[in-house]
Amino acid sequence: MLSNIFLKTLRDQRNSFMLWSIGISALMVFTILFYPSVADSSELDDILNNMPEAFAKLFAGEVSDFTSPEGYLNSQLFVLLMPLLFLFFSISYGSGAIAGEEERGTLDLLLSYPLKRSRVLLEKFAAMVVIILAFGFVFWFSIAVSAVSIGMHISLWRVAEATLSGVCLGLVFGTLALTLGCSSHNRGFSIGATSALGVAAYFLNALAPVVNALEPLQKLSLFYYYIGADPLSNGLDPVHVLVLLGLTVILLAVALLTFNRHDLVA
Amino acid sequence: MISGSVIHTENLTKSYGKHRGLVDLNFDVRSGEVFGYLGPNGSGKSTTIRLLLDFIRPTRGRAELFGLDACTNSVDIRRRVGYLPGELETYANLTGREMLTYFASLRGRIDWNYAEVLAERLNLDLSRSIKTLSKGNKQKIGLVQAFMHKPELLLLDEPTSGLDPLVQQEFYLMVREAKAEGRTIFLSSHVLTEVERIADRIGFLREGKLILEEAVATIKDKALRQLEMHFDSSVPAEFFNGLPGVRDLRVENNIVYCSIEGSMDALIKAAAQFEVVNITSHEPDLEEIFLAYYSSVDDNAE
Repeated sequence: MLSNIFLKTLRDQRNSFMLWSIGISALMVFTILFYPSVADSSELDDILNNMPEAFAKLFAGEVSDFTSPEGYLNSQLFVLLMPLLFLFFSISYGSGAIAGEEERGTLDLLLSYPLKRSRVLLEKFAAMVVIILAFGFVFWFSIAVSAVSIGMHISLWRVAEATLSGVCLGLVFGTLALTLGCSSHNRGFSIGATSALGVAAYFLNALAPVVNALEPLQKLSLFYYYIGADPLSNGLDPVHVLVLLGLTVILLAVALLTFNRHDLVA
Repeated sequence: MISGSVIHTENLTKSYGKHRGLVDLNFDVRSGEVFGYLGPNGSGKSTTIRLLLDFIRPTRGRAELFGLDACTNSVDIRRRVGYLPGELETYANLTGREMLTYFASLRGRIDWNYAEVLAERLNLDLSRSIKTLSKGNKQKIGLVQAFMHKPELLLLDEPTSGLDPLVQQEFYLMVREAKAEGRTIFLSSHVLTEVERIADRIGFLREGKLILEEAVATIKDKALRQLEMHFDSSVPAEFFNGLPGVRDLRVENNIVYCSIEGSMDALIKAAAQFEVVNITSHEPDLEEIFLAYYSSVDDNAE
């Protein structure tokens, strides 16, 4: 596990990954085991329908019922909780990729080895992609196992598509955090700025349908491309996926350019 | 460019806004020599090394290593260089052996046995987790990774900081061996005694300017040492006045204070005629050496 930067980066994260995986799995299992008791109570849908629209949109997105499997999973997981977790992991890994080593002071030593800076960055990026994908798999797998065990009528393929949409969202924010970390030499700034953008994007997407002034701006929110097409019900929208992946590539290119040019901080 | 130069700089300049950087650095390090890069803390020693390794880019001027441009051929250069950072940071979650294995694989194929030999020579326990190691032991890991692939050029930034005296001796031995094998060593330090012990030539850096590039022997001659000699009874001042190399003479009863440049022979022989209780010598700090050097250069010029 220590034969290159990519593998070492993964190795460094193995403990935190294991712990988080246990946490995520537990959360998914409990959420889904709770479903049968919700599915039978149509009063919940009435509550949803009686809620102020803005309030409902904020926490349940475009969900129109709580009791269908899709409605339940969207409102409980895919609208808020899962993207938040994806953001959290990706921002934490992305910001640490280069800025973390730079702050710890190990980047000097690493770059005294015969490696191109772009190579170092790409290996770190690849490790981040693998970690985010692995988290996606943990999400999907724990949802799938629990859904099958309670006999939930949901397509596991669609669950995979919705999770993949979360992976794509994580990639954009993770790469943004990596890029900001690279250019600011400051991990804290990168975490702060990217998280703030993430929260802003969430609220913009959630409130745009109910706040007239925000409506034309909804497509500026990355969350729109994550969940706007409701991938759990309708599958992935290729255009939306392309927007997220395209932005990731652009941000990566910016990171490569800045990292190749800039002076390392002592 | 002098033929046989391993490092060559031309007006190498790095400005950091208001901060001091480096100004028009011109020097050559020849193949197979030990070059001591001396200067007070903050004078730009690390900045120079970081420029050579392309961690930072010059504002103006250029540097060549092995005849290759430091910026455009950095990867090729770094393949042939071993580097020890001035403030070494390590991966706390690894053991010494894991960290060295990692760095060895980043180099491609290296003779791992040699890394083990070096660790043993420095009395470094590779199986211990790095977070349990003292600063000196971490520094040993830094030294091993710099030497383990037998590079043509060693760039060592304050290599002995944190090392205890015995390990320092071993380090000096490693430097001598590397030199004997024809490799080039560039080491920075703020301690003259350390550098004069192993370096062939010395560059003095002061406030970002290289003010002197000289063979060690020459500098030793010019260096002023402070002497304090205690006798069992008071001694006549005129006895020591005008002795070769003696300056700033002051006699207080049975104690003689003076500075001495070059050979101490005449002074010691004069002192030997009285009963000497004790002689103490203070190493001059770098600033004093600069000043002494300059005043002697000025004297010669006049």
